Amino acid sequence: MVGANTLRLYLTCIRNTLDAAMCAASAVCHLQNFPCQEVERHNKPEVELKTSPELLLNPVLICRNEAEKCLIETSINSLRISLKVKQADELENILTKKFLRFLSMRAEAFQVLRRKPVQGYDISFLITNYHCEEMQKHKLIDFIVQFMEDIDKEISELKMSEHTRQAGGYRVS
Amino acid sequence: MACLERASPALKEILLKLYRANKSIEIDHHLYEFGSVEYHIQSSASDEHHMYLSISTPLLSQEVLLPYGISHHTKQMITAICSDVVEIIEPAKEGYQLTLRLDFSKLPSGKDTLKVIAEISAVQAIILSSRLKEMLMNVDSHDTFQGMYKPIKLVYRPSEPFFIVRQPQKFIAVFPIHFKDKPDVIIATTFFQELMDVGSSEKWAKAPPCCWSPIPPPELRGELFEDLSTTGGFVSFEISSWHVKGKKLDKTVWSLLNFYAYVKFHVKSTRSFIQRRMRKRLEGLVELLHKRNIKEVEVEEEEEEQSRKIQANAGCKCMIRISNLPKPTVLKRRYNAFSRTIKRIRSRIKIQGFGRFRRRWLKMPKFSSSMGYTKLE
Repeated sequence: MVGANTLRLYLTCIRNTLDAAMCAASAVCHLQNFPCQEVERHNKPEVELKTSPELLLNPVLICRNEAEKCLIETSINSLRISLKVKQADELENILTKKFLRFLSMRAEAFQVLRRKPVQGYDISFLITNYHCEEMQKHKLIDFIVQFMEDIDKEISELKMSEHTRQAGGYRVS
Repeated sequence: MACLERASPALKEILLKLYRANKSIEIDHHLYEFGSVEYHIQSSASDEHHMYLSISTPLLSQEVLLPYGISHHTKQMITAICSDVVEIIEPAKEGYQLTLRLDFSKLPSGKDTLKVIAEISAVQAIILSSRLKEMLMNVDSHDTFQGMYKPIKLVYRPSEPFFIVRQPQKFIAVFPIHFKDKPDVIIATTFFQELMDVGSSEKWAKAPPCCWSPIPPPELRGELFEDLSTTGGFVSFEISSWHVKGKKLDKTVWSLLNFYAYVKFHVKSTRSFIQRRMRKRLEGLVELLHKRNIKEVEVEEEEEEQSRKIQANAGCKCMIRISNLPKPTVLKRRYNAFSRTIKRIRSRIKIQGFGRFRRRWLKMPKFSSSMGYTKLE
């Protein structure tokens, strides 16, 4: 129960922070198209380059505990969300790594997923102003929160089914 | 798992086919199976009753001693399948360890036929397990055995040796586990830990106790360093006398010989299971993302259609509304619309500057209250 409560609080905090970062409610201040200040005719996500400090907002780090955290970095035209997933033991460690690497390698299917996670994290999202134009902002936030819940759920189910198969294996051997 | 079945499925099928054929068939088959096992089956049309089966299999060798062939005890066990049907030909065919002559005309009828054919198909298992059976059969022996407590290294495949340590009233089988990939090591070690936990429960009290340790057990002290350096630790099984009584001896020996194959199979099937689950979850997440956005688009399209319908029906609704209003109000509205039309008609002729003149000089003065304010031009 305690775990479920802290998870709820953690996800709510992330949702609210993303809401504020993407300014879903306000039409005045949101991720907007901003051409590159240094190279003509280029349009790059400023959160990745980090060459112009005036275009970056303060990053926010939300920690559920020592093992689980979420880093939200915002800039004028893009937003980067990096997640660190809990890994209680070695089996969860390899399951998480395998699963998240599997998803990252197929990042084009998700559009907002980054192929390589930020250093120190397990998976990263990159949302640009173009994504905000194509997709609904509040739905994007819903998707990211749902994604986090699904990862936890999937890792737990994989571990549980592993144990069941192993117990079955004992009968055979 | 064909590699864990005692009887070779392919060989069994060929033997059944030969048995069920009404006339003699000319056959010359070579079969190659997992574990470097080779079969050669020959049947000639001229010799109706007999067929020849040659087998080549790696033998279980002990330490540095190379196997010198099939022991007399093993040959006795093979002949004991059905002495009328099976006859060992000496010397064996070149390149094979054993050649058998089978006479299907002397096969017993009914269900026993299938049983005998299945046992003939399992000849390779008999050859392989005979050495280990001889060792385990003497588990209860009280003789002071030379080299007691000294581990005996048995090699079936070159990279997979295992050890048998004889102790009073029991044997300990120790398997050093080695995997190249780290995920395989973790899956295997989790399996062994689960094996230990499940095996120690009351339900499985009769099964051989299992133990896993990351370091070599004390029984293997003094063995070669290359045999003791592993990535997956050491798995030990305690074999007691009741595990090798009667028919259990065959099962116990076969399980020990195929333990490595089973572990590898488990690791491989776990990886493919994880892969399937991940693929399924990926599809679900992608569908979720696109479904959310498609739903929004559909809702927007519906709203657009509805607004179009409202505009189309606006005229009708307007008529309905007017008919419900009182007559003076209706007349006033019609007069206002008429005067607006007249004004529009009148102001079609545009004179430059007239608009400003009209606004300044031709408008009615407004009486402003003390509370209001006057707009400065």
